[in-house]
Amino acid sequence: MRPKRPGVASRAASLIAVLAVFVPSVLWAQAEPSTASSPARSGSAVREFLGLGPPPDAAAAQRGAPIYAANCAFCHGPLARGAEGPSLVYSELVLQDEHGATVAEFLKAGRPEKGMPAFANMSDEQRKEIAEFLHQQIEDVANRGAYQPRNILLGDAKKGASYVGKHCLGCHSLSGDLAGLAQKWRPVDLQRYWIMPPRKTSDRAITATVRSPRATWQGRVQEMDDFRLVLVDAAGEPVVIARDAGVTVELHDPLAPHVAMIGALSDSDMINVTAYLETIK
Amino acid sequence: MKRHRARAGALWRIVCLGALLPAAAHANELDMAILGKPPTTAWPTFNGDYSGERFSSLRQINDSNVTSLQLQWSYRISDVAAQRGAPVPVIKATPLLVNGTLYFTIPNNVYAVDARTGTKLWSYSWVDQGGHLVGNRGLGMYKSWLYFLGPDNWVICVDSNTGKERWRKQIADARLQYFTTTAPLVVKDHVLVGVGGDAMDIRGFLVALNPDDGAIQWKWWSTPGAGEPGIETWPNVNAAMHGGGGTWQPGTYDSELNLIYWGTGNTNPVFAGQGRKGANLYTTSIVALDLDSGKLAWHFQVSPHDTHDWDNTEMPVLIDANIEGKPRKLLAQAARNGWFVVLDRTNGKALVSTPYVQLDWAKGVDKRGQPIPDPAKEPSVSGTMTITSATNWMSPSYSPVTGLFYVNAVQGVAIYYLLDTDARPSGYGGTLSSLGTSTRFLKAIDITTGKARWQHEYPNLNGAPSTLGPGLLSTAGNLVFTGDDQGNLIAYSADQGKILWHFRASSAQSNGPITYMHDGRQWVVLAAGDTLYAYTLAPAALTRADP
Repeated sequence: MRPKRPGVASRAASLIAVLAVFVPSVLWAQAEPSTASSPARSGSAVREFLGLGPPPDAAAAQRGAPIYAANCAFCHGPLARGAEGPSLVYSELVLQDEHGATVAEFLKAGRPEKGMPAFANMSDEQRKEIAEFLHQQIEDVANRGAYQPRNILLGDAKKGASYVGKHCLGCHSLSGDLAGLAQKWRPVDLQRYWIMPPRKTSDRAITATVRSPRATWQGRVQEMDDFRLVLVDAAGEPVVIARDAGVTVELHDPLAPHVAMIGALSDSDMINVTAYLETIK
Repeated sequence: MKRHRARAGALWRIVCLGALLPAAAHANELDMAILGKPPTTAWPTFNGDYSGERFSSLRQINDSNVTSLQLQWSYRISDVAAQRGAPVPVIKATPLLVNGTLYFTIPNNVYAVDARTGTKLWSYSWVDQGGHLVGNRGLGMYKSWLYFLGPDNWVICVDSNTGKERWRKQIADARLQYFTTTAPLVVKDHVLVGVGGDAMDIRGFLVALNPDDGAIQWKWWSTPGAGEPGIETWPNVNAAMHGGGGTWQPGTYDSELNLIYWGTGNTNPVFAGQGRKGANLYTTSIVALDLDSGKLAWHFQVSPHDTHDWDNTEMPVLIDANIEGKPRKLLAQAARNGWFVVLDRTNGKALVSTPYVQLDWAKGVDKRGQPIPDPAKEPSVSGTMTITSATNWMSPSYSPVTGLFYVNAVQGVAIYYLLDTDARPSGYGGTLSSLGTSTRFLKAIDITTGKARWQHEYPNLNGAPSTLGPGLLSTAGNLVFTGDDQGNLIAYSADQGKILWHFRASSAQSNGPITYMHDGRQWVVLAAGDTLYAYTLAPAALTRADP
């Protein structure tokens, strides 16, 4: 469908831009994320991608929380995942409901024959707030784009310090490049980036020496497949080299020690080092 | 002058249309007798035949002339704007080729294209009411009818001649987070349709529908109910009722045993296993079901107690081969968890069970040959490293000529996090964060040993996405067709893995390649992103080639 109004078209264009950024991180079940993206940014986009239905009214859900806790949690559990009574997160009645229209009616009458009392004395407003609370629980479960991070800093910083002393300080310095990493990255990013830093800066770029019978090139590798290399030479100019017979490629990866480390690193060393790096101001 | 010629052209077209129309009404009836036969002049099912081998006996295009492969036409999808979560269309479907027409899909859209010219004959659009637009893997065909899935669990039957809808039937509820992406598999008078879903702890199932009206013939649940065999692998019935096990890829079929073979998807909650201690049958398994009743004949669980989203939906490929001098009915699978199995498909007994990438999550195999997962490698709050998915939905291939099983595999590491520590977790319950160093390999695995006889490492500065991946096709012309992650369509020699031909497409190859004879020429058709590419030999090479 072609958008009819320019406003719609430009909105669509900006949505495309946003989606293009986060899509690799949300295609899980039949795919897999490459980065853990920030919940606030991707929550609504993932909701739409998954087709999760209308978002819950967060304020109403918050008002509904104490009402739910006082009246419902005993049977259905604090997070509505079931206890004595069934899980409401899986309830078809709740999943089909939009903003309390069905749930509020249901609560008014209850299902006394199955032990579910009527909540006839509540206001309709309160019943709808309970419904929004339930929708919020479903959102918290189903919308992985809005998942809240947990505290992952459970390692032993002292042991981490000893690992860093043994393995890292040959190349890195505590007062130099390792200082203040915790201010730069969330713990979850700190943990992945100290293991395998992003190659954004030029000193971490892969370079190559390429030789053919007639010439030799050196530079930063911009692109590489089975058929060609694109090098950026000292002057900043891209050079395209076909990988014909007789062409040899020698790669230099400044992160090679990190790549090698991944295979040898234990989970406990990983979390200990992260806990330690978090303490270096 | 110009005007006159244009009018004459229009007139000529009308005359032609008039002549063609009555014939076209009968042209697209699929001869049901060819279903399950080796595909030569048609590609009438997702895998071409029912074996899942994606092997073609054609050899007009072969290792001596593939360098002369020439693009005949390309068809770019230009009538679909950004879809929810999909900025540009990506063709993940394997096309069907029947009587000179190619049929393929993207989410919510079906296309019929003339195989000779790449001209669109018709298209069909569906307006969804929810569901997940991650991909659509194609169509099933029965006589002159096509079966297509909307993402919101609608099975839609359309007329292959016109693209007009005949009937529709909803098989699951999108609000419960079921979604549908698979290519329906038609076997005899059954249309077999599977489902996906992760966000809300679905109970997976496979359903057989009547091709005439979509009436349900049988339904097989991926997890057992109260009192049924397998329920002992769950802590309680409630966990099994929400235990996942999607069926989102087509399966394979052995007509002699009358068994269908299906891979089942990841267990739910996805990363949080504390509420479902046990093996969690029949999720992340290979199951053999009776075609006519849906009754379980045997199972083999490739990823017991999955906590890594390792859908076991990779194709269970049926192979007839001699093992130690005896002809055997085999089934081979390269699974998403990095494990390669060769089973006796009459009973599910393992002949080979071994990793095909380097991995650290298994402590060995049990007495049936099923891997034993190491609990220390389950996702944790502080993070646990193990492999990323070693492959995914992209089609593997097996060549009976080389005896090699071809799979595009990824070697990578991710940190898996547990987010939901509740005693009753729900949904994904966790997340993962990859360490950016993955590498893709094309592996040619000897089915008698599970070891790669050769492998090709794809050079790539950016690692290998396991989200999207190139499917494979092997041929009797000693060729393997696939692609890399950087837009190159590639032909290898099947026996040695030498690159013989490549073509730079506008994006990375995104579906399973097919091949067939049409008009005396062997065609190779594959998709990269929003475009379908069709090749034959160049005319000069064609005259030299065997028919």
